[in-house]
Amino acid sequence: MIEHLLHINHVCKHFGGNVAVSDISFSVDEKQIFGLIGPNGAGKTTLFNCISGFFPVTSGDIIFDNKIINKLRPDEVCHLGMARTWQRVKPLGSLTVLENVMIGAFSITNATRKAEEIAFEQLGLVGLSDYATKPAGSLSIGLKKKLELARVLATRPKMLLLDEICGGLNLTETDTILDIIREVRRKGATIVFIEHDMKAVTAICDWIVVLNSGEKLAEGRPEEITRNPDVIEAYLGGGQNA
Amino acid sequence: MFFLQSLLSGILTGGVYALAGIGMSLVFGVMNISNFAHGDLMMLGMYMAYFAFTLLHIDPYLSLVLIIPTAFLFGFVLEKVFIHRIISHPHQNQILLTIGLGLIMSNSALLGFTSDPKILTTSYSSSAVHIAGGISLSVPLLLSFVITCGITGVLFLFLSKTTTGLALWATSQNREAAQLMGINVAKMSALAFGLGTALAATAGALIAPTYYIHPMAGHTFLLKAFTICVLGGLGSVVGAGVGGVIIGVVESMSSTYLSSDWKDVVVFIIFLMVLLFRPQGLFGKKGEQ
Amino acid sequence: MKQVTIIAIIAGIAAVLPLVTGESPYFIGVMISVLMMAALSSAWNILGGYAGQYSFGHAAYFGAGAYTTLIMISTFNFNPLGGMVAGIIVACIIALVTGSIVFRLRGHYFGLASIAVAEIVRLSALNFEFTGGAQGILLSDVSLWGVDLNSKLPFYYGMLLVLVVSLGITLYMRSSKTGFYLQAIREDQDAAASLGINLSFYKNKALLISAALTSVLGSLYAVYIRFIDTSAVLDLRLSIEIILTAIIGGVGTLWGPAVGAVLLVPLAEVLRSNVIGEALVKHGIVSEKSGLGIFFKDNLAHAHVLVYGIITVLCILYLPKGILGLFRRTK
Repeated sequence: MIEHLLHINHVCKHFGGNVAVSDISFSVDEKQIFGLIGPNGAGKTTLFNCISGFFPVTSGDIIFDNKIINKLRPDEVCHLGMARTWQRVKPLGSLTVLENVMIGAFSITNATRKAEEIAFEQLGLVGLSDYATKPAGSLSIGLKKKLELARVLATRPKMLLLDEICGGLNLTETDTILDIIREVRRKGATIVFIEHDMKAVTAICDWIVVLNSGEKLAEGRPEEITRNPDVIEAYLGGGQNA
Repeated sequence: MFFLQSLLSGILTGGVYALAGIGMSLVFGVMNISNFAHGDLMMLGMYMAYFAFTLLHIDPYLSLVLIIPTAFLFGFVLEKVFIHRIISHPHQNQILLTIGLGLIMSNSALLGFTSDPKILTTSYSSSAVHIAGGISLSVPLLLSFVITCGITGVLFLFLSKTTTGLALWATSQNREAAQLMGINVAKMSALAFGLGTALAATAGALIAPTYYIHPMAGHTFLLKAFTICVLGGLGSVVGAGVGGVIIGVVESMSSTYLSSDWKDVVVFIIFLMVLLFRPQGLFGKKGEQ
Repeated sequence: MKQVTIIAIIAGIAAVLPLVTGESPYFIGVMISVLMMAALSSAWNILGGYAGQYSFGHAAYFGAGAYTTLIMISTFNFNPLGGMVAGIIVACIIALVTGSIVFRLRGHYFGLASIAVAEIVRLSALNFEFTGGAQGILLSDVSLWGVDLNSKLPFYYGMLLVLVVSLGITLYMRSSKTGFYLQAIREDQDAAASLGINLSFYKNKALLISAALTSVLGSLYAVYIRFIDTSAVLDLRLSIEIILTAIIGGVGTLWGPAVGAVLLVPLAEVLRSNVIGEALVKHGIVSEKSGLGIFFKDNLAHAHVLVYGIITVLCILYLPKGILGLFRRTK
């Protein structure tokens, strides 16, 4: 029996009277590239926040690497091997690009020199080496997204949660990011994507779960999902470009 | 009947506190700024009442007619000249700016009026009304409370029935949404600050007959005003009103049953408790950290 | 030039300064104030400038050191160093309690809560008997291993030492994991947490170091002046002055606090001693008996706080990163 790396088990999240996430269940296997899609307000980022420890779940369990992680703090989740990026990028503005990535590296080492080495390595992977000494706040949005990626990669995660990493990027930039993701998976990591860009999602994902209004609408392989009439309706009906 | 006496005095004083708290809450709701000069604005109100009385021979309660518009104008100008520029700056810088303004106000008062406490004694300063059960209520406190209720009522009508007032109310609930609806939030900020200043000065003028008037008098009220706001819920006008009365009662009770030395400590401990266990206060929105 | 070298050079200059200037007590007294404020701001800066947590109640730790030390000396016959150690312990306890309440909060709430805690400490000291109440504590006799504590020199070097230690800790920290983590917390707490940083642990670490240093300065001050009361060592104004000094020099920079102190403390002294007024009178610009002359004589002494207020406003509006912030990005 294959153990799932991440198991979302009947997770619900309410904010007062507002039901953001309702009875969601799915599993992610090791080395999968997993897509989480759905129209705006479907509850995807809320779910990410629950998984990564920023929101407590109202009910249900989140099981990562055979441990129940519902009650863990975000930093504890990171140390278990799950790292996340942010939909609205969070560069540590007055630190340099290199220092930003070093922060990630420090989660696996205490030595400044080693952190620097790891950081340079990741900058090389994403193609930001030339920007190492620039203040992170001065980068363009595309580069800031790459920085987020380099930073989480420096934590050597088993699983990456990427929240709209391709948002605001042009075609070339998107392709670059997708190539990096494939390389990261080749090295053994698992990736869960939130994405709006259907082309990106279908190009790279092995499996997709579709959320709509906090509920799971459909799940399956990209080809099945793009042909699913409920999914198409949710996107078109919800006013979102597919 | 210590209990009832204490309770009633507390409610009356609480009314004035509420006024200071409402002013601060309004500023906080509309502009998201903690105004550390609020106490000093109260102090200026105290001095205005004092000078109106000694130089112009106007009763302090009547002088409100002069004080309110003057203070409003002062606050309006302060906002336009200083506060406006730091609206989107980090919290700590906003706090430091208002601290700086407060220092300028209190120390100018020190230079101008010296640190000798002034006393405003009207003919009825020590009069009291005796009601059933052997309870006596100080006349100035009673008058203050009545005026406070009046002003709060007018404010309430303004915020709920006039166009400008509604716009102000909307901005205090959600600045971004208000802006999207076409409300000129910059104008609302100046308005809110002017109102907040006027309310603070009014509170000062109302307590002038019963407190020592000196340049540092505002400082005691600053943290109390914050406690009231936090207790009521930052941004909630109703909350500040209720909070003011609660704090007034707590103080009065602490004074009677513990000692007047410790009454401030009790207030601050309540402050911390609220922050720890219910940071949104009684009427505030949850998750508004 | 490496920062360590700069610290060493400046410390060296400061160390020989008293010998060169003929040991004038007045001058040394002013220098002690400068060094003390520089050290206080530098200690505050670890938590405020690097971790981004602005404590508005740091006087609580200063007062904890001062009061504990004097109580230990006069009531329990400790020697000053023992009193200082006791002071550090008390300050750290207060820090841990404060941290547990205050670090869950963000934005406005955090600053307000830090003031509330400091005020509770102040009012407690004001109202309890063992802290002397409103009278404060007067130290009659004190000695330490034959060092003459009536001279100002030991305190000069004591303050200098704490400043150097504070600068040294800051320097070491900012290129170490802790320093990086604190800066991440300052920039974006959520991002920091998502990268594996235990927010509470690191904030408390910065607070404890800062509180301990501040407490030592309080102990030194107490034995230096021999008299303390709540308005001298626990007042909100002291907390504010510490922050202003750091802001004007440059928050989050190594030398900012020291620069701020070197500028502000002598300025306050000049105003307080009415040097300007006297100079104007001496040169005949202002007559001693005129209204202006009398005004200067009576009031300029109080004006230094007014000037602080003006400088603060100008600084926040036009120079928010402080003087050193002009020259380099926050490091």
